[in-house]
Amino acid sequence: MKPSHPKLAILCLEDEPAVLDAVVRDLAPFEELFLIEPVESVVEARRVISVLQEKGVPLALALCDHLLPGVSGTEFLVELNHSDATKATRKVLITAQAGLTDTIRAINDGNLNHFIAKPWQPGDLQKVVRDQLTSYLVATETNPLPYLALLDAQRLLEAMQQGNTTTDT
Amino acid sequence: MKRLITAATGLALLALPLFLPLDGLSAAGRITCGLFLFAAVYWMFAPIPIYATSVVVILLQLALLSNASPLVEFLGFPYASVDAPSADKFTGTLAHPILILFLGGFMLAAGAQKYHLEKNLVRVFLSPCKSPQLLLIGVLGVCALLSAFMSNTATTAMMFAVLIPVLGALELDDPLRVSLALAVPIGANIGGIITPIGTPPNAVALGALAEQGIRVSFASWMVIGAPLALVSLVFVTVVLLKMFPPKAKTIELKMTGRFDLSAKAVLLYVVAGLTIVLWATESVHEIPSSVVAFLPIALLPALGIIGTNEIRGISWEVLWLVAGGISLGYSLKDSGLATWMISLVNWTSLGNTGVIFGFLVLSVLMANFLSHTVTTSLLVPIAISLGTSGVLAGPGSLAVIAIGIAIASSYGMSLPISTPPNAIAIASGAVDTPQMAKVGVVMAIFGLVVIGGLAIFLWPLLLK
Repeated sequence: MKPSHPKLAILCLEDEPAVLDAVVRDLAPFEELFLIEPVESVVEARRVISVLQEKGVPLALALCDHLLPGVSGTEFLVELNHSDATKATRKVLITAQAGLTDTIRAINDGNLNHFIAKPWQPGDLQKVVRDQLTSYLVATETNPLPYLALLDAQRLLEAMQQGNTTTDT
Repeated sequence: MKRLITAATGLALLALPLFLPLDGLSAAGRITCGLFLFAAVYWMFAPIPIYATSVVVILLQLALLSNASPLVEFLGFPYASVDAPSADKFTGTLAHPILILFLGGFMLAAGAQKYHLEKNLVRVFLSPCKSPQLLLIGVLGVCALLSAFMSNTATTAMMFAVLIPVLGALELDDPLRVSLALAVPIGANIGGIITPIGTPPNAVALGALAEQGIRVSFASWMVIGAPLALVSLVFVTVVLLKMFPPKAKTIELKMTGRFDLSAKAVLLYVVAGLTIVLWATESVHEIPSSVVAFLPIALLPALGIIGTNEIRGISWEVLWLVAGGISLGYSLKDSGLATWMISLVNWTSLGNTGVIFGFLVLSVLMANFLSHTVTTSLLVPIAISLGTSGVLAGPGSLAVIAIGIAIASSYGMSLPISTPPNAIAIASGAVDTPQMAKVGVVMAIFGLVVIGGLAIFLWPLLLK
């Protein structure tokens, strides 16, 4: 059955193919309802984002490595935060190498939502992704019903009731 | 593409009656006929949101049928025997007394939500429910009780948030999961019929009756709705326990929290209690329920119990949706369309019983596929016209049929698309569509038989 709602996307930015594979593998449970876009560089990421924008697919979550050739993951998150289309995107940094300055910049200017230290446990990453996607749906008042079984149903339903986003017809 | 075709079809139907040889129908009647077809297509197939259609209906009435319309004079579209109705009548539907009554209910619900009153009530009701059977009864009962005063959808969302840990703790193949997941939307849908403010279709029926000078008090609605809801809840409990016998022996329900006793919360309880008592005792003091509704509308903001955030969070679009339904009914009567339509069919051959039962069946059928408010908005004006033209006889026949249609629409709940509460239940993953449909069809048939019986034998005595 074709989903009656626009799909949402998850971007994974990581320059090491083996690590990128690991991230994508961990995201398998989310594939059913989210478009997963693995990219290896910021240039590629920008291209993917503009294609998504053309198709009208909002970017719900960006998982970025910090240490990348050229533009750093932190700078990329700052960039996302300053663009209207990706302002609401939940931003997660996965890294072992970000220093204090970068971390501060990611939080203050990139509106970083979560920090994952490498190496991570698969369960941990999934939990973070689930929380962040739930927060995205709540913040953007997206119809949560298609996502109840996959994400944090309790939080989604409470937000639905509190925000009065769906009512009797 | 599909949307464009529907949108264009609706517009074409708006113009169509102008070109048909409808003998004896005034120009105003033809415009109204087109407007009715337009509204039906737009409400049923929703090329634009249904509340938007409602306000477009009002706009079209202002532009084509009111005394403010340049067209009425210019194109010489005379009403058959009356002056064109005042524009204020149409714009005024947005502040119709019934809508004010609803607004009062919305304000109370917003306050209850802010201070978690509804969650605490759920806790008090469900904490003694240690067995699966008791929990099922508790869920049905508390959903019905809450949705009598707040929106069915909000009740369902809140209840599922409470039940998710319970559903998760049950074994995956325990039928209790299914029956609980069905009990929430069924309880909420049934609860909507208990009070006039329980669900928007009730407002459409009451608005149409008010136009005929028939005032149905809060309490007299409850005398009709509450026993019917109670019987339905008992019936559905038996059905759910038979169809889905629970496997679990005991239930672990962990709910913590306590009533908010801050000054503002206590004030809210007082205002809510006073409002409900005044609503229920209208026959004693004769203050109309819409006037009483101004207590919460004025006092909750004045006492700082709710603020701008809560006021902005109110479902204004539901009020618009209802306003369009009420407004459309006006023109059906004013334009002479109703009288003309009725003259086409030999209704008397159907008899009182046949007409009432026919409308009830239509209402339940349509409500399974359409918004309940839309169903009621399309059927009640026609039914009321039948009543006023003398086709329906007997005491209180107008009130009986209008209220019957509104209540019957609440029994349209066999599909995920029937009501937002059903959509939430399906999305929870604990129940599938065939299971919902099976119970829904049983409820629809039960509803028809009981509502039909009451509408024919008992309600005429209560509503005369």
